Amino acid sequence: MLLELNHIFKWVSQGGSRVFLLKDINLLVEEGEFISIMGPSGSGKSTLLNVIGMLDGFQEGEYNFLDQSVHSLKEKKRSQLYKEYIGFVFQAYHLIDELTVYENIETPLLYKNVKASERKALVADMLDRFNIVGKKDLFPSQLSGGQQQLVGIARALIAKPKLILADEPTGNLNSKQSEEIMELFKELNQEGVTIIQATHSELNAAYGSRTIHLLDGGRDNI
Amino acid sequence: MITNYIKIAFRNIRKNKLFSFINVISLAIGISASFVIGLMVYYDFTFDKFHKDGSLIYRITTQYSSAEGESYNYGVSVPLIAEVKQSVTGIQLATSFFTIEPSKVMNASFSKPFNNPEKVIYADTNFFKFLDYDFLAGNAITAIDAPNKVVLTESRAKKYFPNKSYNAIIGETLVYDDSVSTKVTAIVANFKERTDFTFEEIISVETGKQSYMKDQILDENWNSTSSSTQLFIKLNSEKSVSAVKTQLNELAKKNASEYSIKYNEHRTFKLQPLNELHFGGNYGVFDFSEYKADRAILYSLLCIAAFLLLLGCINFINLNTAQATQRAKEIGIRKTLGSSKKQLVFQFLWETFLLNVFAGMLSIGLAALLLKVFAGFIPEGLHFSLFANPLIIGFAVLLIIIITFLSGFYPALVLSSFKPVSVLKNSVFSTNSHISLRKGLIVFQFIIAQVFIIATIAVGKQIHFLMEKDMGFKTNAITYIRTPWMDSSIEKRQLLLEKLKTIPQIEKVSLGGSPPASFNTHATNVLYLDGKKEIRSNIELLYGDENYLKLYNIKLLAGRALLNDTIHEYIINDTYRKTLGFKTPQEAINKMVGEGKNAVPIVGVMADFNQRSLKLNIEPMAFIGDWNRKGYSQLNTIHLQLNETDSRNWSTVIDKVEDAWKTIYPESEFKMDFVDNTVAKFYEKESSMTKLLNWATVLSVLISCLGLLGLVIYTTERRVKEIGIRKILGASLLQLNLLLCKDFLILIGIAFLIATPIAWYGVHNWLQGYANRTSLSWWIFVICGLGIVLLALVIMSIKTLSTASENPAKSLRNE
Repeated sequence: MLLELNHIFKWVSQGGSRVFLLKDINLLVEEGEFISIMGPSGSGKSTLLNVIGMLDGFQEGEYNFLDQSVHSLKEKKRSQLYKEYIGFVFQAYHLIDELTVYENIETPLLYKNVKASERKALVADMLDRFNIVGKKDLFPSQLSGGQQQLVGIARALIAKPKLILADEPTGNLNSKQSEEIMELFKELNQEGVTIIQATHSELNAAYGSRTIHLLDGGRDNI
Repeated sequence: MITNYIKIAFRNIRKNKLFSFINVISLAIGISASFVIGLMVYYDFTFDKFHKDGSLIYRITTQYSSAEGESYNYGVSVPLIAEVKQSVTGIQLATSFFTIEPSKVMNASFSKPFNNPEKVIYADTNFFKFLDYDFLAGNAITAIDAPNKVVLTESRAKKYFPNKSYNAIIGETLVYDDSVSTKVTAIVANFKERTDFTFEEIISVETGKQSYMKDQILDENWNSTSSSTQLFIKLNSEKSVSAVKTQLNELAKKNASEYSIKYNEHRTFKLQPLNELHFGGNYGVFDFSEYKADRAILYSLLCIAAFLLLLGCINFINLNTAQATQRAKEIGIRKTLGSSKKQLVFQFLWETFLLNVFAGMLSIGLAALLLKVFAGFIPEGLHFSLFANPLIIGFAVLLIIIITFLSGFYPALVLSSFKPVSVLKNSVFSTNSHISLRKGLIVFQFIIAQVFIIATIAVGKQIHFLMEKDMGFKTNAITYIRTPWMDSSIEKRQLLLEKLKTIPQIEKVSLGGSPPASFNTHATNVLYLDGKKEIRSNIELLYGDENYLKLYNIKLLAGRALLNDTIHEYIINDTYRKTLGFKTPQEAINKMVGEGKNAVPIVGVMADFNQRSLKLNIEPMAFIGDWNRKGYSQLNTIHLQLNETDSRNWSTVIDKVEDAWKTIYPESEFKMDFVDNTVAKFYEKESSMTKLLNWATVLSVLISCLGLLGLVIYTTERRVKEIGIRKILGASLLQLNLLLCKDFLILIGIAFLIATPIAWYGVHNWLQGYANRTSLSWWIFVICGLGIVLLALVIMSIKTLSTASENPAKSLRNE
């Protein structure tokens, strides 16, 4: 078992009444799974991903990640946990504009205090693997959307995470680029990386081994 | 990691060129001011630190206290020297010396004498045991152990004997004032470190007994004190301070004059520690020392530096917290990539540090400029090269680190506390939470700026008032020449006077003492018996011949002028007349002042005039003739009234006067002073203060306005959409401008309301120090308030107008 959500509730108070963002979510993810979360806009896909990614909290329920109960961990411990095991891929890529491709990929290693020589080797491998060696000194604004997302994925993978959380990774891409990215995810999954992606597209969801449907904060059907 | 931080910092600085520029400039101004001021403080606080047992060295000084207040003399009465050396215990060594001013020094090899050699003393044999001089030739023991011996410093020896080796100079004869002959016995190195002991020629004190100083050196009167008589002691240990003090108090008591006992005046001998010498306080350093360090000035300079630094830091905090939204995305991403809050804080501090290093480098250049600006406060010995001092470098590095924390820490905390989720959700993100802090900081900046502005205007007004106010006597086109004081012949002076009378452009001439207002004072204590009670008062004396009052246009209110220039008669001023209790000037005429054979009649009453700076009150004064001509003539200065309308020809007149001077005093230097220049010199301190204030004002306004500009640019850019919508709805350019400036104008208004009472209080207190003072008019405050609002409007409009005039279609298109 990689992670387990039990009866997760998340809400905001609006005018005295609760608006539920997540309602009684139960989810068990094993290592090596490729899960797609689907649902209309506002159904809570991103919120669920953020909760799984420990970027966001929740009001009720239990969350166990690799046998640690995340809900009872301190902020610092929690960030250590996701730093170690989770990589993020975003719809809007969220590369740091001021950093080159090389530096963007390198950044997570800096925060893990990896030695310079090791860093160099790891980043070089990653550039090689994604075929972007020639672009390593360019800034994000000089790349196409698909290339930016490749860098984003490379960055998410560099720290060798067990789990990749992808929030509509192809939302800003055209269909050809989308296909390439999804093929890449599939490949990664075959190598053993667990992937959870949020998506609108049935086509993309089909790449996953399992699909979860959300509606108004709750599981629609299993 | 650090190289990465620096790289990112560089790119961010480059990306926001304008903001970085504002940040760097505002910080650089503060840092450079701190550099220069720090340098000055360091310079003044490191005088005479190198002497062995420096903490045991004290100078004995004299303090007088009476009902009228306290007065100070940094010399002592001569008999105290012998008493201290012989009978005071707790002292391991005492040395005394007399500062003297020879008018010339001659040697057989000189083609002509050196005039007015400076820094010459007569010192006793202990002098070289007391101060550790390095002997380049000769030795300390026999240097000044007998009459007619002189020790020269290296620099003076080179000046007198440029081509001789030190050993060859030994044995040369130097003759002072044509009468005192000395042999050079030793050459010593000048002190390399900063010191106030800058003597150049040290003559054995025995020699002085053959000179004009004879009377002073042999003086046995406990009650005459000259500032040229210097006495230094070295204590056995720090514990003996109180024992020595007690003994000195006893000596003062034992030798008090009958007069001082009768009138309840006390004299005490004080111990002035060596490390207090440079600051002088109530005392000067030595007779010939011109520069006197002033703690109060140093402290106010430090305040100014601190304020400028603070203003720079505020700009930094304001601009960076305002910009925070633009960096929110980066922060969010970094957090999801695993950055801890601490790591982010470090990253931002590095960025701040880098900006500060830029500012620091820029400041070194600016500091060179500021050293010139502050020249009026800066002692001659302070050079830019002092920057190479390791202590100063250390201070500079420390300063930059402190400023980094001061300016960077808060923005770093704000930035690093963003929650990644809210940032990445792309929700419109506002930094409203820090708006009140930014507002507060702007208000603070403008309070400082406006206090400076008001103070500058008010001080300027006061100085203008002092300069323009009638002194009570004529100052225009009047010059004076002091005749050489070594030459006491009154006949020569009168001869010169006659020669000058023949120059047609000179309208009036007079032989007298100092001008009516000068830095010299002669005073005496006189008694007036009006039948019932005695009125004892201290009166100043002004010497002159029968033309003196006419030349200076000083009016007689009653009575007549002096009959001749040696008759014993008083012309008193109106203030003294009031002190004596006469209701009208007429009433004072023919009254006798003084007792018995010293009684002198009042023959006239002259109108009051200011004897010194208008800062001080008019003191009781009497105009008298040359009573002691047989002993020492006081009429040593020739006063000339030039033609006022003919100022173009003054230089030819001055040449003619110089020619006449050369025929009578061929060997003496000719020096002519204008009375109005002398008067202006009373206000040197004020005028350098104005200069300082002007700069502080300009710089603080500049920094504050730069900060304001930065914030306006930022807030305006964030409201581009709003401006576009309002424009489509029909808002005019003026309305839009007002909308954008309104918030800031309110803040400046609040700052004005707070600054006004602070400035009023400060300036009001400062003005209390002046006997003649200008009023604190309301218009000073109005000018300041309107001026700053106008300035702020202009600066803000640079940005707001250009934004408001943009095509709204453009700004709304992106949405």
